[in-house]
Amino acid sequence: MVTGNTEPRLPAVVRYLFPAFAGLPLGPLLTLSLRSLAGRQPRLFDRLGEHRTACYFIDPIDLAFAFTVVPDAERSIVRVVGKSEAATSSVQIRGPILTLLSLLDGTLDGDALFFSRIISISGRTAAVLALRNTIEDAELRPADLLGLRGALARLVDTGILGALDVARQMADRNSRSKAPEA
Amino acid sequence: MTSGRMELVCPAGTPATLRAAVQAGADAVYCGFRDETNARNFPGLNFSGEELAEGVRFAHDHGSKVLVAINTFARVNDVDLWKKAADTAAECGANAIIAADIAVLDHVAKNHKQVRLHLSVQAAAATPEAIGFYATSFGIRRVVLPRVLSIQEIAALNRAIEVETEAFVFGGLCVMIEGRCYLSSYATGKSPNLNGVCSPPEMVSYDDEPNSTAARLSGFTIDRYEPGEPVGYPTLCKGKFKAGGKTSYLFEDPVSLNAGGMIAGLKAAGVTALKIEGRQRGKGYVTEVVRAFRKAVDAVEQGGDAIEIDRILAGQSEGSRQTAGAYSKKWR
Repeated sequence: MVTGNTEPRLPAVVRYLFPAFAGLPLGPLLTLSLRSLAGRQPRLFDRLGEHRTACYFIDPIDLAFAFTVVPDAERSIVRVVGKSEAATSSVQIRGPILTLLSLLDGTLDGDALFFSRIISISGRTAAVLALRNTIEDAELRPADLLGLRGALARLVDTGILGALDVARQMADRNSRSKAPEA
Repeated sequence: MTSGRMELVCPAGTPATLRAAVQAGADAVYCGFRDETNARNFPGLNFSGEELAEGVRFAHDHGSKVLVAINTFARVNDVDLWKKAADTAAECGANAIIAADIAVLDHVAKNHKQVRLHLSVQAAAATPEAIGFYATSFGIRRVVLPRVLSIQEIAALNRAIEVETEAFVFGGLCVMIEGRCYLSSYATGKSPNLNGVCSPPEMVSYDDEPNSTAARLSGFTIDRYEPGEPVGYPTLCKGKFKAGGKTSYLFEDPVSLNAGGMIAGLKAAGVTALKIEGRQRGKGYVTEVVRAFRKAVDAVEQGGDAIEIDRILAGQSEGSRQTAGAYSKKWR
C-alpha cells in the first residue's frame, strides 16, 4: 500500500500519545452516533443497498488503531481494532486520518485521491463504491453525527471543522518539512 | 455556427452532486435513475423518482436545466422499465431525455411531446444521414457526438444538419464507437450498452502484491502498477497486455479527455453544448471541473482563451494523464 509523501499526515508522536487502547471508547460512541443518524435520516442508508451489511476496515495510517464499520442503519456497529484485523473485513480503506475525514464532508474527491494513490482500497470494490456514493450524497457535518440542530449545531460544526482545518495546515507543514527536495 | 452562448452540461451522480454542479455554474445537469436504464448503473449512484423531482426543482430555481439519461438499450420483452423511466422523468419536469434505443425514442416522441429529445452518444450517430433519420423519425433536438470526430469533421457535420450538437470536453474516453463495445461482456457477461456498467465493480479488485498492485476484472489482470504510480479503473480497453512479445496498452492509453483548450474551436465549429463526463465522480471533482470550465467558457464567450484549464484540471484525470482525443487528429 502506498500513499503520497506530501499529503498532510499527523506527526509520528501522535501514535505514541494515543496508543491503540486510547481509541477504544470511540467504538461505542461512533456506533451510537451512526444508529442515531439512521433513525433521523433513514433514506441515507438506502444507497448502500446490499452493501450495508459489509464490514469496512478503515485504517488511518497515521494513527495506532483502525476501525471496522458495518453501516447497517439502526443495526450499525463501529469497533476500534488493531491493524492486523484487516483480513476479516470485506473492504479495506487506508489513508491519512485528515484525508479520510475530508472524504466525509466532500472536501476532497475520493476518486482523485485513489487514482493518485493517496488513499488505497482493496477487497469488494462494489461495496467501496456504494459507501463512497452514500457518503458523498449524505453531506455529513460533525453536528449530524452528534445529533445536534440549530445554533448549537452551527457552533459545533464551525468549531470542529475549524479545528480540523488548523490540524490539516499544521500536518501539511509537518509533511512538507520532511519531504525530500525535488 | 452557433449564435448563442454555449451551454455547459455537467454530470450528477447523486442529488448532492446535482446541487454542487448547479452551484458551480452548470447550465444543465444530466443524471439517471437507480437502475439499468442508464449507462452509469453503479452501486450507490443515481436518483429515485422522488430525488429527481427534488433535483429538478432545485435546478430550475437556480436557472439550470435537467437532462435525464435513459440511454441503455432495452431488453427483448422488457421495454416497460425503460418506458416507465421516461414517464417518470417527464412527470418530474425534466427538460430533456437523452436516449439511444429506438423504442425509447419512439415512446417519448409519441407520449411526452413537451420533453426535448437528445440523441445519446450511445447511438453513435456521426453522419448527416443517421442524424437526419433520428430527427425526422423522432424529432430529436440535439445529438451528443461520438468521440471519434475531429473539429473539422464536426464543423462539416454542423453545416449539414438541422439539430444542435453537444460535444464531450472532459473526462473518460471510449476507444470504440459508443454503443457498440462488447469488451466488457466478454470478461464479465455485462456491458455498458445493455446493463449500464462497463467493468461492473463487483468484478473489480485491486490486489496488493510484492512491489506492485494488480487491477483485475473478473479475475483477469488488466494492469499492474508500481508503488506510487497513478492507478486507473480496470477497463479492458485501457488494459496492458502482452502481444507479439511486447507488453503495452494494446487498445488505448489510460488517459482522460481534456478539450479545454479547444472550446473556441468547438464554438466556431457550431457546437451548441459542451459536456463534462463523470457521473460516477464525486462532488469535489464536479465542483472543481465545472468551475474551471465555467470560467473557460465565459472567457471564450468574451473573446479570450482558456489555456489555464489544463493546469487546473491535471490532477482530476484518470491516470493523471490527458489528451485532446480525436478533436486533434494529427494522423490525418
